[in-house]
Amino acid sequence: MKRIFIDIDKCLGCRSCELACAVEYSVSKDLLKAIQEDPLPKPRTDVQQDAKRGSFPLQCRHCEEPYCIDACISGAIGKDPETGLVVSNEEKCVGCWMCVMVCPWGVIRPAQVSIGDKKKKVALSCDLCRDRETPACVEACPTGCLYFQEVEEFKKTKA
Amino acid sequence: MHYVIIGNCAAGINAVEAIRDIDKKSEITVISEENYPGYCRCLISEYLAGEREENQLLYREEDFYEKNNVSLSLGEKVVQVEPKSKRIVTKSGKKISYDRLLIATGARPKGLGIPGEDKEGVFGFRTLDDAKKIKELAENRGKVLVFGGGLIGLKASYALKKRGLDVEVIVKSPRILSQVTDERAAQMMGSWLIENGIDIRTGSAPIDILGDKRAKGARLDNGEKVTGDIVIIGKGVVCNKELAEDSGIRIHWGIIANDYLETNLSDIYAAGDVAETKDIILGEKTTNALWTAATEQGKVAGENMTGRKRIYPGSLAANSIEFFDLPLISVGHVRVRDNGYEEFFRLNEQDCIYKKLVIKENRLVGVVLLNAIENAGVYTALIRRGVDISKVKDILLENYFDYALVKDLLEKKEGFRESISITGDVVKTA
Amino acid sequence: MARTKERSIDPAAQKMLKRANEEDIMTTWDRYEAMQPQCGFGELGICCRICNMGPCRIDPFGEGPQTGVCGASADTIVARNLARMIAAGAAAHSDHGRDVAHALLMAAQGKAKAYQIKDEEKLKVLAIEYGIKLEGRKKEEIAEELAEKVLSEFGQQHGELRMALRAPKKRVELWRKLGILPRGVDREIVEIMHRTHMGVGNDYRNILMHGLRTALSDGWGGSMIATELSDVLFGSPRPIRGTSNLGVLREDEVNVVVHGHEPTLSDVVVAASQDPELLELARKNGAKGINLAGICCTSNEILMRHGIPVAGNFLQQELALITGAVEVMMVDVQCLMPALADTAGCFHTKLITTSPKCKFPQVTHIQFEEDKAYQIAKEILKLAVENFPNRKKNKVQIPREEENLVAGFTAESVFNFLGGRFRATYRPLNDAIITGRLRGAAGVVGCNNPNICHDYGHIEMTKELIKNDVLVVATGCSAIASAKAGLLQPEAALKYAGKGLQEICETVGIPPVLHVGSCVDNSRILVTLTNVVNEGGLGEDISDLPAAGAAPEWMSEKAISIGFYFVASGVFTIFGTPQPVLGSKNVTRFMCEELEDIVGGKYAFEPDPIKAAHLMIDHINKKRQALKLKPVMYEEVAKKEGELVKA
Repeated sequence: MKRIFIDIDKCLGCRSCELACAVEYSVSKDLLKAIQEDPLPKPRTDVQQDAKRGSFPLQCRHCEEPYCIDACISGAIGKDPETGLVVSNEEKCVGCWMCVMVCPWGVIRPAQVSIGDKKKKVALSCDLCRDRETPACVEACPTGCLYFQEVEEFKKTKA
Repeated sequence: MHYVIIGNCAAGINAVEAIRDIDKKSEITVISEENYPGYCRCLISEYLAGEREENQLLYREEDFYEKNNVSLSLGEKVVQVEPKSKRIVTKSGKKISYDRLLIATGARPKGLGIPGEDKEGVFGFRTLDDAKKIKELAENRGKVLVFGGGLIGLKASYALKKRGLDVEVIVKSPRILSQVTDERAAQMMGSWLIENGIDIRTGSAPIDILGDKRAKGARLDNGEKVTGDIVIIGKGVVCNKELAEDSGIRIHWGIIANDYLETNLSDIYAAGDVAETKDIILGEKTTNALWTAATEQGKVAGENMTGRKRIYPGSLAANSIEFFDLPLISVGHVRVRDNGYEEFFRLNEQDCIYKKLVIKENRLVGVVLLNAIENAGVYTALIRRGVDISKVKDILLENYFDYALVKDLLEKKEGFRESISITGDVVKTA
Repeated sequence: MARTKERSIDPAAQKMLKRANEEDIMTTWDRYEAMQPQCGFGELGICCRICNMGPCRIDPFGEGPQTGVCGASADTIVARNLARMIAAGAAAHSDHGRDVAHALLMAAQGKAKAYQIKDEEKLKVLAIEYGIKLEGRKKEEIAEELAEKVLSEFGQQHGELRMALRAPKKRVELWRKLGILPRGVDREIVEIMHRTHMGVGNDYRNILMHGLRTALSDGWGGSMIATELSDVLFGSPRPIRGTSNLGVLREDEVNVVVHGHEPTLSDVVVAASQDPELLELARKNGAKGINLAGICCTSNEILMRHGIPVAGNFLQQELALITGAVEVMMVDVQCLMPALADTAGCFHTKLITTSPKCKFPQVTHIQFEEDKAYQIAKEILKLAVENFPNRKKNKVQIPREEENLVAGFTAESVFNFLGGRFRATYRPLNDAIITGRLRGAAGVVGCNNPNICHDYGHIEMTKELIKNDVLVVATGCSAIASAKAGLLQPEAALKYAGKGLQEICETVGIPPVLHVGSCVDNSRILVTLTNVVNEGGLGEDISDLPAAGAAPEWMSEKAISIGFYFVASGVFTIFGTPQPVLGSKNVTRFMCEELEDIVGGKYAFEPDPIKAAHLMIDHINKKRQALKLKPVMYEEVAKKEGELVKA
C-alpha cells in the first residue's frame, strides 16, 4: 500500500500540507470559503518538530495491527484486507475517543464534522485521500518533500 | 479441529477472526446466552438515549458468521465445562464437544444484596435487553435513581438525562468515578454533571428498595428516603465464571489465564471480562473489564488456539468518556498509592482543563486528561512501553506536547506492534 | 517543569517562569514553543507577499519555482523584504526623534510647562552646529530655532542631514561618493516603500544601498536627533548609580512600571512620582511611597538621567507583572507585547496606554499630551496609588534579585572621566588602545529573543570580550542584561576583565562595561567612534578602528536598521541568529563579504555568543595589525584563558 513519507531534511515547516488537508475535507473545498465554515474543517495531518529541530507532518500510519481498531466500541474503524488502509466510518463513529486514547502516534483527532445538515462528533484520521489519486498534502508541498509511495519505492527514492 | 467459543461479544468475535486468519477450514461454533448477533455492548447507552437504533448496534456485518463459516448458537447458556470429556453442557441439556475451548462469557452486574432488588423497575445495565426494558419504562418519563458512580451508572444516567428524565446518582464513595480516575478529575466531572442537571449524592448507599411490586424509591443508610420510578444498579460486575466451578479450572475473581491466555487446563483458554490476566504495568494478576482489553485478548487467545504462539502483553486500565461535551481520559495507575510515585499536574479551573501524570522510577504509569485529550494515545504508548521519560518529564504536560517530542523514545525495534514511520522505517511504537 | 533554566539564565526570570508555569499563565516562551516549527520560507526571507499575483515562495532546494510570478528572484525578494524591515526600524527611531524635537519646540515656546531646557551647554553646541545665532538670545529662542531646523530635516527633500556630517571626513566623502548620504529623514523611508513596491527595482545591490542610506538617516538622523535633543531637554546623563532586576519592586510601596521608549513620557513621570500630593495619597492608601521602575529603553532613559531602577529587559515585561506587585504598567510605543493585557488581567495590575499611535483593545487609554504632561502623569500615578489596596498580598512574589549598576556614560561624559580631572579628552582612551593595554572596543547591544536563552547571548559575549581586554559599551536590553549580571559595576573588572582592561577600570574607576543608554543612544556610539578617530593615532575613518558591534539576541526591525547604520558607518557587526536573508546566497554574500569593500563594514551571523565574540576579537586584531599598533599588552594571559574556553 502506498503511504505518505517525507524527506525530513526538506521540510520547512510551512504547514501548507495542513492547509491543503483541511480544505480537501471542507464542505466547499475552497480555502476562502472553508475558513468560514462551521464547524471549521480540521486537517488530519499535523506538522511537528522533534528535539533535533527536524520538522515533519504526521498522520495515520495505517499500522499492521492497529490499536485503534481494538479500541473502537462501535466497529467503525476497520482495515481493508486488500489495501491495508485503516479507515473510520464516520456514520458509525460515536465519538467515544477510545481510539484517540490508544493511538501511539497521537494522529487521531477528536472533532466535529457536518454530516448533511447536522453536526456530529467523530474521530478524524488520515485516509490517504482515498478519493484522489494523490493525497492533497503531498500535492501541496512546496518543496516536494512529501512522497506517496510504497515503502520499498520510497527507500529507493531516499537512497 | 473444532473450536468452541462461549461468548459472542468483543472477545468472542475477535477470536473468531484471529482463528480464521490462520485456519480457514476447521469448524468454529460460537455459543451465546443472549439472543442477538454480536453487538457493541458499549453502545447500549446510545441506544437508550435514542441515538442509535437496534440495527445500528451490530459489531460486524450481518453476514459475519456466514462469511466466516461459524455456527452460531444463540440463547443458550453454558452451565458446565467438562474438561475430561472435552465437552460443555448447556442449561437446556445440550452437550457440545470441543477440541479447543475459549471461555469468553464476560461478566454480569453485581447485585446490591438488599431487599427489594427484585422488584419491577430495578435494572442492571449490561445487556441490550436491559437497555430495552429501561427504554420502555423511560417512555413514561419519571425519576431515575442510579446506584453507583462508575462508568455504567453514569453512562445510563447521561443517556436518560438526554431523554429528559430527572436523574439522581447515589454513590457510597465521597465521589463518582472512584475506580476510574483520580480525585480532582472526578470532582471536576462531578461538578460538571451537576451543572448539567444530573443530581449527585455522595456518601450514601441504599439499604432497601421501596415500593410494592414496582420500585418506587429507596431508603438510604442515613435514614433518608428517595423516590424513583426507574432504579439502575451500577455497582460493578462479577465474572461469569460459574461454569468453570468444579471443573478443575483455576478461578479467582475470574478465570485465571497465563501469558498465552491459557487456563491451567490444556486446550482451554479465557479472554475478555471473565479472564484474570496480568496488568501491563505492575504485572499483577487483575481483571480489566474494558472493551479494548477484551478485543485484544480475543485476538491473542484465538491465535494461540490455532497452535501459533502469541504473548499477551498484559492489560491496561484505559477509559475514555464524554458527558455534555466534557471528555475525560484516564489510563494506567492514576490514584497514587504510596511512596515511589511522583505526580505532576496542570490545572486551569477557568477552562476546566486538568492534566496529570503519574510517574514511578522515571517511567510513566498513569495519565489523566480532562478536556485536553489530543495526543492521549502518545501517553498511552509511553505507559505501555515503560520507557525512561526522565529527559522529557518537564515537557510532557505542555500544551505543545506531541509525538515528535518523544519520537526517539518510542521508535524502537522492540515493542509489540509494527508500523511504518513517516521516514519509511519499520518501527514498533507501542 | 518546562525547562525554566533553559529559558533564561536570570534567576529572577527563572522564578517568575516557574510561577507562570504553575499558575498556567502563558508567557512568550510558551507561545514560542507552540509556534514551532516556524516556517522556513519566512526564516529564509523567500516568501513574498508584496502583490496580489502572489503570495510567492522560492524553493530553496532548487526544484520548485526559482522566481516569483513577476519573475523576482530570491535575491530580489530577500532584498525587498529586508529593505522594508530597515524602513520600519528607521521609522520607529525617527518618529521617536520627531516626538522629542516636537517636545523641545513646545517647551521653547512655553506651551509645555513640564519640559524645560536642562542642558544649555549642549543646546549651544547644537545651535552652532546648525548655524544658529547665539549672541544676545535667550535659550528659549535658540531652542525654538533649533527645534524648527531639526524638525524640518524630517521633511527635507534634498541636501544632507546635518548630523551625518559629524562623521570623520573620509567617511562623509565615502558616503557622498556612494550616494548614500541621507537627504532627509522621512524621504529615505518613503523611498524604500516605493522602491520595494511591485515592479520597481530588482537589483538587490541597488535596493540595499538605498537601505544603507535609510539606515544612516536613522543612525545619524532620527536616532541621533532623539539622543541629542533628549539631552538638551532632560539633561545630559552623567555617571550615576542604580539598581536592576525584578527585586527593585517593593512590597510596601506602590509599584509603577514604565515601559516603552520615549522619555517625553517617562521623564515627566519621574518628576510626578515625587509630587507630595501623590505621596500623601499613597500613604493614605497604605503604601510607604511610590516606587517607579522601568522596562526596556524608556527605563534606560530615566536610569541614565535619574538613576531610576530598571525592573528588567524585553523578555521580562510579562514577568514583572507576574510578581503580582505592579499597580500600573504604563506604556507608550515599541516592544510592547499584546500579551501584556492578558497577563495584567491575571492580577490587579492596570495596563495603561498613552500614545495615540499605540492602543490595545479594551485597555485604558490615557492620552499623553505635552502641554498637559505633568497633569496627565499625575493622573496615571493616582490610578496606581488608588490601585494599591487591590493588591493581594498573598499573590505577591517578588524575586530578591536586585543588582547594583553604574550607568550614564555618554560620548561626552565618559571621556570627561577618562580625561582625568583636568580636561575632557579621548587621548587616554586612544593611548590605551595604541599601547595595547586595551585591545579595542565593542558595542554589545540589542533585544532579547526566546530563540536564545534569555540574557545568555549578551552575558557570554560580553564576558568573553572583556576577558580579552576589549572595552564594551552597551545599550538597550543588552545593557540591562549586563546590569543584572553585575557587569556594570567597577568591581566586575576584577572578576571578569582581562589584565589590561582591569588596569584601565581601576585607574579611572569605571566598570568594564559602559552603559551608554537606550537604543536610540546607539547614536552615542557613532559619536564616540568619531571622536576616537578625530583624536588621532587610530586611523582616519571609523572602519580603521579596532572596534566591532554585535546584537546577539536581536528581535526587532529596529535592530536591523541599527545593524545597517553601523555597517554603513564602517563597523563589523555580528547578529546572533541570521537576518532573514539566507534564502539568497547573493544577498548574504553582499552583506557578509562585499559590503566590507564598499563601506568598510560588514555583517556576520553567529548564534553562539562565544564564537561570535571571537569573530569580533579576530576582527579587532586585524585592525590593530593594519594600524601597525603594538601587540596587546597582556596577550599571553588572554590567549591562555581564551584557549581554556575554546576547548
